[in-house]
Amino acid sequence: MSDIRVMVVDDDPNALDIVRTFLESRGYEVTTASNGNEALGLLEDVNPALVLLDVMMPGMDGWEVARVIKNHPNFRRTRVVMLTARSDFADKHEGLRAGADDYIVKPIQLHELGERVELNLKAREKTA
Amino acid sequence: MRIVAHIRNAALRAVIDEVAGDINATVSESPDALSSNGTGPEDVPDVMIVELTDSTDTHHLRSAARRAHAALLFVCAEDESCPNLALADADDWMLLPVTSDELKLRMIIAQKRSRGARSVRTTADAAELVRYEELLYDKRTGFPTLPVMIENARSLLERRGELTVLYIHFVWYEKIEEIYGWQKLDDVLETTAQAVRRFYANEASSSENIMMVSHVADDDFILFTEVPSSPYAAEQRLRMISERLESFLRSNMEDGHGDDIAALCGIYVGAATIFRNPKIRTERLIYRGIREAAQAARGAEQWERTRKVSDLKSTIRDGAVFIEYHPIIVTATEEVYGFEALARGVRRELRSPEVLFEVAEEANLVWELSRLLRQRAVSGIYDELKDGQFLFLNIDPHDFDDPTFRNLDPEELGISDPSRVVLEITERTAIKDYPRFKEYLDVFRARGFRFAVDDAGSGYAGLGSIANLEPDYIKLDISLIANIDTNFLKQNLVETMVSFANSQGTQVIAEGVERREEFETVKQLGVHFTQGFLFHRPRYAGLPASRKASHVSHASTKVDPDPEERGGL
Repeated sequence: MSDIRVMVVDDDPNALDIVRTFLESRGYEVTTASNGNEALGLLEDVNPALVLLDVMMPGMDGWEVARVIKNHPNFRRTRVVMLTARSDFADKHEGLRAGADDYIVKPIQLHELGERVELNLKAREKTA
Repeated sequence: MRIVAHIRNAALRAVIDEVAGDINATVSESPDALSSNGTGPEDVPDVMIVELTDSTDTHHLRSAARRAHAALLFVCAEDESCPNLALADADDWMLLPVTSDELKLRMIIAQKRSRGARSVRTTADAAELVRYEELLYDKRTGFPTLPVMIENARSLLERRGELTVLYIHFVWYEKIEEIYGWQKLDDVLETTAQAVRRFYANEASSSENIMMVSHVADDDFILFTEVPSSPYAAEQRLRMISERLESFLRSNMEDGHGDDIAALCGIYVGAATIFRNPKIRTERLIYRGIREAAQAARGAEQWERTRKVSDLKSTIRDGAVFIEYHPIIVTATEEVYGFEALARGVRRELRSPEVLFEVAEEANLVWELSRLLRQRAVSGIYDELKDGQFLFLNIDPHDFDDPTFRNLDPEELGISDPSRVVLEITERTAIKDYPRFKEYLDVFRARGFRFAVDDAGSGYAGLGSIANLEPDYIKLDISLIANIDTNFLKQNLVETMVSFANSQGTQVIAEGVERREEFETVKQLGVHFTQGFLFHRPRYAGLPASRKASHVSHASTKVDPDPEERGGL
């Protein structure tokens, strides 16, 4: 079993379930959170290699959460992948400003999800 | 401190426990503890935190809290009626979910409210208060704000009979926010706050009592401290502290953010001493002291600005600028395609072009400065350009308002063939009158000049407004290029820009390529040209004779006398 930790943050419990099951089947250790506050609360303990972050959440939105993670000195290397319903230029720009590393357009295709996660973890190895 | 909590929400309970641990408070579970009669004074709570339900008897809680002189803090699940209900009886309220930071702040607010005679009964007042209280605690710097600390300052003054106020005035050129974003500015403020803290940790003797305060509205800091012994010695020491603090902060800023950003910030320390005077209200004395210290700090700033303006005047008179030429490389062949001219002031504090222009704006000398720089930029390289090479010149949109520029005779400037000159216009400066601006561009285009949109992707203009200008080149902002090899979002954005450019007959230049991996990535994405320290350090021209020697020797290791001959790398 791999001990790579992935955190999934989404307010939709069904989406959380599907993504968790899929990633666990790939051998990742998965932690879930249903909002930004919960995710940030878990961050220190879990110290995930990668965070999948839904953009549209009540309360703190995904950009805000990404910004907090990426600005925290302990989590600079943590890969942040946004799950977004839109893929236009402005949206990606927002992601860039928040410090995100990648994005996946919803509805999520599982094979794409697996690929993006793998690519991002590989890219993480390259960052010191 | 003692907290009584009546909470069902598990997450909130955890937050309360965490905060209690931080501030050494005890938590007991039920508000019933309040009604028990046989409690000693050590059992009287300071704060009651109650989760509201339909059956909560708020009036009962209010009177119980009053009896105990405790602050009452209500927590609501998402419910619109909660604020109104809670306002009637609570010192403060909050909506779930609650973070520990918020809880701490709310507890302070609630306690202050319950202590103060001020009682809030109307929503309008409450809104006013909330705004006011957001100013109590500065999250960025971790310092409390003045309203919180004025009480402590007062007791300090009353105990010691005198108090020293140091006012740290923080100034930045707007360009920081414009170029580096507000996050950078926040970082800079944070560095400054940390440096203030470190300075005092190292410098202050343990007997000195110090309070640090954020002056949020102006991004400034205030320190209250004590100055020992006689007035004369006190003044000496004050001056010494101010000077050392100022230079300490400056060097910290340079370490943390680099010369370029440090040059865009100013830190000025002003000092004042307050003596207790029983005839004058203590608060008034304190505020007067703050004002005096602030005035001293602003005076120092004013002096510095005036000096910079006069430095700029002599810079323009003496032509004390030099030009750095940054090579632009054809990505596919790694050959030199052209040079971008960047202006630098000879004087250290006017080195950065941003500062040069900022000061010029203040002194109303932008056109004069621009003219000097254009003339220097062209004369420094134009005759040396090889066939097919271009000169990239930065143009400020304001330059178009200058009739000398609008009616520019290229020949007079030494440009025999305008089609070899690319005018770079930054995406960052807001263009107010688009049609007029476009007209100006067309006039220059008709004369043969080419255009580049600079800093594209820095977020101010979308693709649409870039397309409107119909540029010959799009220069991608460095923020899009840094670490692009590991950031897929940036790769995607650059890919979009390149395919957009290709469809418009425009070419893309990547700025700030510093690592081989970044170069390989932009190459793969089809970016036509690249610019950055990976290839060549800039070359210099136009240094005044007296300064030239020192500069060349300093730069000799990084200046490439003729980049082309080395064939790229």
